[in-house]
Amino acid sequence: MSAAIELTGITKRFPGVIANDNVNLTVEKGEIHAICGENGAGKSTLMKILYGMQPADEGTMKVNGEEVVFGSPTDAIDRGIGMVHQHFMLADQLTVLENIILGAEPTSAGGAIKFKEAEAHLAEVADDYGLTIDPDDMVESLEVGERQRVEIIKVLYRGAEILILDEPTAVLVPQEVEALFDNMRELKEGGATIIFIDHKLDEVLEISDSITVLRHGKTVASMPNDGVTAHDLAELMVGSELPTPDTTESTVTDHVALAISELTVADEDGRAVIENINLSIRKGEILGIAGVEGNGQGDLVDAIIGTTDILGGSISLLGDDITRLSVRKRREAGIGYVPEDRHHEGLMLDAPLWENAALGHQTQAPYGSRWLLNRKGARAQTTTIKEEFDVRTPNIDVSAHALSGGNQQKLIIGRELTSNPSLLIAAHPTRGIDVGAQAAVWEQIRAARADGLATLLISADLDELIGLSDTIVVMLRGKLVARLAPEDVTPRDLGAYMTGAAHQDDSEAA
Amino acid sequence: MKWLQDQPAWIRWPIYALLGILLLTIVQSISDTERLTATPTSREMLRWAVPIFLAGLGGLFSERAGVVNIGLEGMLILGMWFGAWGSIEYGPWIGLAIGMAGGALGGFLHAIATVTFGVDHIISGVAINILAPAITRYLSDELWDSPTTSPSTESVGDWDVPVLAGGSLFGWESPDVLLTIANWEWWFLSDVAALTRGLLRGTHWVAIIAILLVPATSWLLWRTRFGLRLRISGENPSAGAAQGINIIRYKYVAVIISGALAGLGGAFISTELSGLFQGGNSAGRGFIGLAALIFGNWRPGGVLLGALLFGYVFGLDLKDLDGTASHALLLVNTIVLIGVAAWAITRKRKADAILATILGALAFIWWVAAEAVPNWWSNILPYVLVLLVLVFFAQRLRMPAALGQPFRKGDS
Repeated sequence: MSAAIELTGITKRFPGVIANDNVNLTVEKGEIHAICGENGAGKSTLMKILYGMQPADEGTMKVNGEEVVFGSPTDAIDRGIGMVHQHFMLADQLTVLENIILGAEPTSAGGAIKFKEAEAHLAEVADDYGLTIDPDDMVESLEVGERQRVEIIKVLYRGAEILILDEPTAVLVPQEVEALFDNMRELKEGGATIIFIDHKLDEVLEISDSITVLRHGKTVASMPNDGVTAHDLAELMVGSELPTPDTTESTVTDHVALAISELTVADEDGRAVIENINLSIRKGEILGIAGVEGNGQGDLVDAIIGTTDILGGSISLLGDDITRLSVRKRREAGIGYVPEDRHHEGLMLDAPLWENAALGHQTQAPYGSRWLLNRKGARAQTTTIKEEFDVRTPNIDVSAHALSGGNQQKLIIGRELTSNPSLLIAAHPTRGIDVGAQAAVWEQIRAARADGLATLLISADLDELIGLSDTIVVMLRGKLVARLAPEDVTPRDLGAYMTGAAHQDDSEAA
Repeated sequence: MKWLQDQPAWIRWPIYALLGILLLTIVQSISDTERLTATPTSREMLRWAVPIFLAGLGGLFSERAGVVNIGLEGMLILGMWFGAWGSIEYGPWIGLAIGMAGGALGGFLHAIATVTFGVDHIISGVAINILAPAITRYLSDELWDSPTTSPSTESVGDWDVPVLAGGSLFGWESPDVLLTIANWEWWFLSDVAALTRGLLRGTHWVAIIAILLVPATSWLLWRTRFGLRLRISGENPSAGAAQGINIIRYKYVAVIISGALAGLGGAFISTELSGLFQGGNSAGRGFIGLAALIFGNWRPGGVLLGALLFGYVFGLDLKDLDGTASHALLLVNTIVLIGVAAWAITRKRKADAILATILGALAFIWWVAAEAVPNWWSNILPYVLVLLVLVFFAQRLRMPAALGQPFRKGDS
């Protein structure tokens, strides 16, 4: 019997990056095959190629033993391959049935939808695979797990027998993950083949029959799930490169700058995305937060800066309670912020640099006062930032989008640091900028630390975290699960904590 | 109340209508007017409501596909001119079709700007609203040597419903049952008969077509493939595109239909109501159509209800030279607002209850203090109603989720 999917020598290049480098993947019929790897390891690219969303530069694909070339997802669907995207493609104000049949509606000659026929076919599909759903529910009334089930049924309705699930557990709470796994077992029972992407190792080990690990675009291992441990997988995912920890002298003082106690934040649906976090950062300390994206780091930042409502707990800055202050008051109290997405939250791309430099500090000298901007002061300060932080620009009147990513980031760092904050929140401060700018940003943060700045650093770059931080905490599913000293931790260890493969006792983590 | 909500729509709505007339009758008994439930009032209501409804229904098509259409007023004006021109040149029915084509042309322009070029929907709509009167002025001047008026046009005519409103049936002059009942001057029963008769006697064919468009639109949008795909274009176009649906095409078709319906409303104004094209005769009914769309929660039946309600306010004002009928309407407002306050209390919405009570009290004080209301009041009342609906029922209003957002091919 030929394999359901056989990919051989798949290579995909993007300008400057090789996303997939000679990847091989064999998925047998009727198995659940996990693909794991870190962010950027090439999992999603591989799946997009398999689903016909992108062509491969090299390599061959076989589906059920036949060689295929996909020009679009439609070709993949015709071959019985369906994909459930991480972000659901559903319309809230349409019913479950309408969402499912969309694009594949059975109609009479006049164009009227044969709802009875559609419902019967849906019931048949749902029955075959043991999935239950009420076709008349509005999607807006469904829980996340149910929405995912709608997406899965949508794919099955079109006759797919090979399902690609792109990080299906990323959006689910533990109970929903259990329900999903039950569904996946039912699907397997019904004869479906499932490929799923995940980087939570405990989940991979629980559900999969086989595992393929990708790292830096290459297949590093492909094996049956038989005697494999989470530790083995973590090692394979992260590799064994050793970090180069930066050995600067500690500048940590005893003076607490930021103190967070028992902070809880809920999302729109009322689920806790941050649960009971206690955290303090002292003057002169850089506290690094490690975690797979989406485990609550962003919500923590929003809670500190004040852009989200909190459910419980308190936040204080230099001993003053700021829990109830507005964002503006918090910024004025001395919180500097380098946002994760500089284009959406950090800059006004069409505005000149000097206006961008005033952004967030416009009510304070030298940029302005409560009601008025001080053009002269703002321009002078911008020129200072340009020189001190080496922002390469012809002048301060060009608009922000004319600058390269690195120079935009230097402007933001300069803007925040020259306002002498007592706390700096730096979310992925070197993401997407070149090596030279990266080194400059690191240097500026270190210099500010030496002057007594407390910094909250969030980064997906584990070497950066280990190199810059005085203390590292790991966030997993909205909780702090480990507290580590950067001197004796490797990216591999961190990866294990981040994915839940390693644990620390509560007392140690707190 | 619970019992009523469980009934099918064809039982529920007539009962709501009867309750509404009962309220009007009660108010009328303690006011010095008889116009609230008079036959001319409901006739004028329908005459006003038809173009408002057609514009609103046009808005429904456009907005269900995700395109904000504030250009309805302009498309209505184009319909007015082209309808008049078509009627003069080719006769009334073809005139209506040409009026629709004129409006559709405006819709096509709006679609090119918003769908293809991603122009802000409001800006494009306002541009059409400025362009349409200017174009029709120019064309009138060229064709009819008068920038504002056309020669008189021919109407497709109207119809008296036999038996109920005294229409003729195969040459037989049927009795006018409703007139008889209205003349008995029984409390409430005669009021119902008088108001109903206004809808059934001298009913324009276009009004009948407009009413039939309610079930037709419901069927088209909710029971057909075309409708489902049109709605996905306004709810989550990326999800539709991911299933291979040509979202751009559906948006174009929807906005063109939108223009055609507004155009029909315009043609109705010029050929059926005025009997000629006259600049300014649209009287903002395109905008009020948009208000009816919001009032009606983006549903065909709701748009009709909104149009009838606004039509009533205008229709009442039309022959109300001394302002006493509109003055009596203040008392209706008071009672409705008190009802809203009671409803808000059962929902434990304190702020809403307080606000409704205050507004109701203000309306009551005005009613007690004044003998009549000024003319501008009934002109702004539709907009006041929409504001009130937005204030009290905003949580129940569901506009299409992707309304006003640009969509580009390959977005997903």
